[in-house]
Amino acid sequence: MAAMLATPKTAANALRKLVGNVADALLVVVALASLVFLALRVLPGDAASLVLGDQATELERAALRAKLYLDQPLLLQYTHFLRGLVTFDLGESVRRPGTSAVSLVVGAALPTAGLAGLAVLMGAAVGIAAAIAGAGPWLGERRSWVDKAATALAATPLLAIAPVFTYALAARLRIVPLPGDPEAGALGLFFASGLLALPLSAHVARVSRAALDDVARAQFLDVARAKGGSFARVLWIHALPAAAGPIVTVIGAQLGSLLGGAIVLERLFERRGLGSLILDAYASRDLPVLEAAVVFSGALFAFVQQLASAVHALIDPRVR
Amino acid sequence: MIRVNRSDHKVRVMRGVPLAMVIATSAIVALGSRSPTRLVPALSWASPSLQFPFGCGEAGVDLLALVAHATLRGVALASAVALTGFLVGCPLGASAGLFRGRFERLVGRTCDLVQSFPSFLLALVVLSAVRVPTRVHLGVVFALTAWAPFARLALAQTRVLRDAAFIEAARALGASSARMIARHLVPNLLGVVAVQLGATAAAIVVSEAALSFVGFGTRDGVSLGAVLDQGVASMLRVPHVLFAGAASVFVTSASLMIAGRMASSRSDTHVGRAR
Repeated sequence: MAAMLATPKTAANALRKLVGNVADALLVVVALASLVFLALRVLPGDAASLVLGDQATELERAALRAKLYLDQPLLLQYTHFLRGLVTFDLGESVRRPGTSAVSLVVGAALPTAGLAGLAVLMGAAVGIAAAIAGAGPWLGERRSWVDKAATALAATPLLAIAPVFTYALAARLRIVPLPGDPEAGALGLFFASGLLALPLSAHVARVSRAALDDVARAQFLDVARAKGGSFARVLWIHALPAAAGPIVTVIGAQLGSLLGGAIVLERLFERRGLGSLILDAYASRDLPVLEAAVVFSGALFAFVQQLASAVHALIDPRVR
Repeated sequence: MIRVNRSDHKVRVMRGVPLAMVIATSAIVALGSRSPTRLVPALSWASPSLQFPFGCGEAGVDLLALVAHATLRGVALASAVALTGFLVGCPLGASAGLFRGRFERLVGRTCDLVQSFPSFLLALVVLSAVRVPTRVHLGVVFALTAWAPFARLALAQTRVLRDAAFIEAARALGASSARMIARHLVPNLLGVVAVQLGATAAAIVVSEAALSFVGFGTRDGVSLGAVLDQGVASMLRVPHVLFAGAASVFVTSASLMIAGRMASSRSDTHVGRAR
């Protein structure tokens, strides 16, 4: 693999791919940023009166318009906005004067990143374990149960099960703390991530099962078994890396719903994070914070997605 | 084109039953005298009873009526958006596959980009610009991204079909591109794409509920997400509101998903998966 990488042609290809990926990610972020910019300005309704309410005096509105550059031509506003994007300065929060929007967003990003990152880890681990259980010899006839459970779980919306699980486990049985509780600590985070990981694990289980079945027919596994490799060795060294591509791809594809799920869970648990920041900023019409939070979430999302495809290429030399 | 295998056919028709039951039950309730907006404060958070099978919610709203109306509106919105996505995406993908070259690459790349968009975030962004979100706004927001999976599936399937003998025959007979897409390609895509219709519609029912759960929904409060929101608020006192909301979200989205498999027999789906 290393030798393959070293040849100039593959290196150039890898570089071109990297540049392409970065361009893709940038395109998504800029598109989202421009959309949020346009949405808050072009669609009907005066932004200043949206922020201040209908009772505000004309003077107050004018002051706010000047502060948000809303009194300038659209193109100039856009230039301001783009410059702000590049310099990470999207203005001050309207609701909490003196706090920059970016600092609010960065503070909120950590809890969300923790929640989603843990959910990805748990989802991948549980999903792959389920797929191995379904593909391995231990369960016998009951192997199809794993598939059925995964299919059912994948079809169950997080929105429907998260509140029910929360009611059962946190409110009724009190096994886990309510994750919104400031004293919930690690167990609360674990519970919230577990909920977020449920649909992901089902998708991972289905895809990795299919990938493992695909790989199982490959000749190199016969060779590995013929050489006397144990089941574990054949699985870990030969089968799983070859099946990793689809697994990483499905995680990348699920990131969008993971982000949506994180927003829903933060609302459900009243937990601090990007999602609740966006919702608060929307409710109080705090435009700079809303813009910064959306752009940052989009950037994070695009970055992780490209990370997934890079990991895919790293594990599976066929993709390079 | 459509091979009918008797037993298979029966199974396929059966897949429409759950959705039909959901719609019929909701319609019967909705057409009755129950109102989803009439409030009877004396009955706030009342438990299920004979008169109110699902119980009452915040300020004594009749949950059965609320769930029925919300389900009907959710399914209507989801069907409209899924159909729009289908009508835009299918011909687009099919023509991209048929014309090949730059156009095919462009459509493929655009689908990639749109599908890699965080759609929930997009919905929040667009909805944050309107003062009072209505169902039309929601529909437009969802339709922005809903066409992409259809176009991509149609493109993949057309790549398989475009070298088939019947396409060549149609071309030899002088069929125009539009005719080839409408009469020869799209009918052959239906089996694969119908699954996507169901999946898209189910996803939209859930997204609409999720948006209204987090406070971006329509102001009338007639949404499954609003029921869930009430349920979460009252979880510690009365759990029935929560169960009514969660169960109806699940049943509606699952029935849509199952109904999407109506048009597809096993053999069809595999071509789509193979890609």
